[in-house]
Amino acid sequence: MFKALKEKLFSVRQRLETTISEQPADDGVASSTQETPEPVVPQASQPQPATVTPVAHDDEGTKEKKVPGFAQKVVSLVRDREFIISEKDIEESLSDLEIGLLESDVAFSATDAILTKVREDLTGSKRKIGTSVDSVITNALSDALLSVLGEGVNILDFIASREKPVKILFTGVNGTGKTTSVAKVANYLTKNGLTVAIGAGDTFRAGAIEQIDVHGERLGLKVIQHQEGSDPSAVLFDTVQYAKAHNVDVVLGDTAGRFHNRVNLMNQLAKIRRVIQPDLIVYVDEAVAGNDAVIRAEEFAKSVGMDAVMLTKVDMDPKGGAAISIAHAVGKPLIFIGVGQGYDDIVPFEPKAIVADLLAGEA
Amino acid sequence: MLGNLGTNLKDALKKLAGKTVIDRVAVEELVKDLQRALLQADVNVKQVMQLSQTIKKRSLEEEPPKGVTAREHVLKIVYEELVHLVGGKVDVQLGRQTILMAGLQGSGKTTTTAKIARYFKKKGLRVGVICADTFRPGAYTQIKTLCDRVQVNCFGNPKETDARKIVAEGLQHLKDEVIIVDTQGRHALEDELIQEIIDLNEMTHATHRWLVLDAALGQQAREQARRFHEAVQIDGVIITKMDGTAKGGGALSAVSETGAGIVFVGAGETVEDLEWFDPDSFISRLLGMGDLKALAEKVQESIQEEDIDVNAMLSGKFTLRDMYKQLEAVNKMGPLKQVLSMLPLGGMEVPDGAIDVTSTKMERYRIIMDSMTNIEMDDPTVLNGSRVQRIAMGAGATLEEVRELIKYYKMMKRTFKNLKGGEKGMQRLMKKFGRFS
Repeated sequence: MFKALKEKLFSVRQRLETTISEQPADDGVASSTQETPEPVVPQASQPQPATVTPVAHDDEGTKEKKVPGFAQKVVSLVRDREFIISEKDIEESLSDLEIGLLESDVAFSATDAILTKVREDLTGSKRKIGTSVDSVITNALSDALLSVLGEGVNILDFIASREKPVKILFTGVNGTGKTTSVAKVANYLTKNGLTVAIGAGDTFRAGAIEQIDVHGERLGLKVIQHQEGSDPSAVLFDTVQYAKAHNVDVVLGDTAGRFHNRVNLMNQLAKIRRVIQPDLIVYVDEAVAGNDAVIRAEEFAKSVGMDAVMLTKVDMDPKGGAAISIAHAVGKPLIFIGVGQGYDDIVPFEPKAIVADLLAGEA
Repeated sequence: MLGNLGTNLKDALKKLAGKTVIDRVAVEELVKDLQRALLQADVNVKQVMQLSQTIKKRSLEEEPPKGVTAREHVLKIVYEELVHLVGGKVDVQLGRQTILMAGLQGSGKTTTTAKIARYFKKKGLRVGVICADTFRPGAYTQIKTLCDRVQVNCFGNPKETDARKIVAEGLQHLKDEVIIVDTQGRHALEDELIQEIIDLNEMTHATHRWLVLDAALGQQAREQARRFHEAVQIDGVIITKMDGTAKGGGALSAVSETGAGIVFVGAGETVEDLEWFDPDSFISRLLGMGDLKALAEKVQESIQEEDIDVNAMLSGKFTLRDMYKQLEAVNKMGPLKQVLSMLPLGGMEVPDGAIDVTSTKMERYRIIMDSMTNIEMDDPTVLNGSRVQRIAMGAGATLEEVRELIKYYKMMKRTFKNLKGGEKGMQRLMKKFGRFS
């Protein structure tokens, strides 16, 4: 995942580094050769996502974010042995980064937000000459990415912390892979020692009930189903009742795919929510989705709510920009990614690890 | 498709209005707006950059013909370049043929297969469908159910795991004129599955190989389309799920990658929701130039005997009876918004309130109108308090609902009246376009 993005980030970083490290030499005064009083690499040099950006560190004294004049640069260099990064220095690299993000399918609005953040963090920030250039940029980028990707969630801990049966509802638009994801998650949970029952809540699409039924059979799980066209709330209610009666740990509720602009269908989902009171609503979307990912995620979050996101078909589009778009739009953690057609093709998602990996050295 | 691109462009074009010399700043702004809109619509980044450069260059360098304003000149360039982006028109032949459906998982192949089967069936051809999806559980049940619904033959075997075998048997078994082979979803990085579709293509000697793409598909569309094209030479693209908010720009990259045009657009969950795609009309609509041809066709196709008099409506003679007929026709003709989008309104905005009446409300309105007398239907001005009360009683509606209906009617009437006003300028422009193209 994120491979293309990683390559892009790496090249952008390199360019940013060259533009930035050339800076003091251009000004011609007190170049870094003379003096390195501070220990080299004073701040976190390795990509530690949690660290604050350097701006926060150096905000003693004047914190002018305006375009720094030449004199100011000199003063800053001589007195503080720092130099100021101006917007101009990084503009080209940033527009490169923008294209990179867009090409990785990060939605337009999310790209905008990330760029603004990196720009804010970098421009006008003063950097002590001895500081590793790498850390300034890495921190700015990882901070920006982390702020959109949010904290991870451990599903097993979550389930352990809730009263049994823990009800998990899957929602999303058509064709993102909800039913397959339900089967995969069921398999994942079973492997981790939990008992699972599935509710065949997609009563609309022809063949959907058969599909989940076959999955249940293969995985040896109970699938509660009604006829095609019946009320999904009733199916899922029955599933919860079954789980209570049989002491099942987790209930997974499948639902029919629906578009967020269909008021009636969204109301139906709201009804399901009222009836079964899910502990966790998982919104399923696909990695190949472009800008629409943001719009629909927002709509789903608004009308039926969502607690977590699962991204499917990552094997199809390993760039993973949709993850960033959705996370940016709704600020909900990504719990799983689907990476293939088999039951085991599911990976828990850890934003910190991903971002660290994304920014670590060469691609 | 491409969503608010229209609005953005219209705004940008307004800035050029009345200018005789093309203003560099205005053009740059237009190009920027265009870029933003296209990127938001998921059109391939490289393609967007290329397109905007071309438009900018042509707008500034090409000499506008005499008598053409700057705005018309730029509009024409934008129009031509966008038509180019959307690709050529694909004619659907009605005859003996085999169609192979290809696409990613979850793009809507099976649903689309049923829709296409229905399309050919409606045109009077015998259609047979082969279900070659041996992987996804329930796939056969799905296509079989849908085929039964539209009454076409369906061949498949949920027990068989070899798609090639099923197709071979299916080809022997089905003797229909149009054979559609629904395949398993696959993506370009799965070599085995790509090999399978290559084999299926050879076995069936498919006349057409259509690639089904989700409207929400992002930048990945180009790469996927390229690999599919390499494997089986895609000759048509079908965009699905256009009823959501997705703009379908990703699928356009597939068009440029394969050189194949868009054949159909799917915009709904039922088997009727399939539209044949005409690039010219589409862009005309997008730029607010209207598409009277499509409107005429649509009107003819869906409302023959009821005959709504569009001209009378535009001239302001719009009674409740017209509205009643219109509501009846709405179901067949598609939403009013779509119908209005075919009228040459230029940059004029139709009030959202006139459009955002949901279909359930429409149904209520119809019921209420059923309780009206002929006199009331022909001359709504006679409606007074006691009449409103009687209508409400008769229709089992509240007084508020009846009043709301009357309010809605008045708004519609006003809207149609305004349409007429906006028409003239656009007509002149359209004539000009007629000359260009």
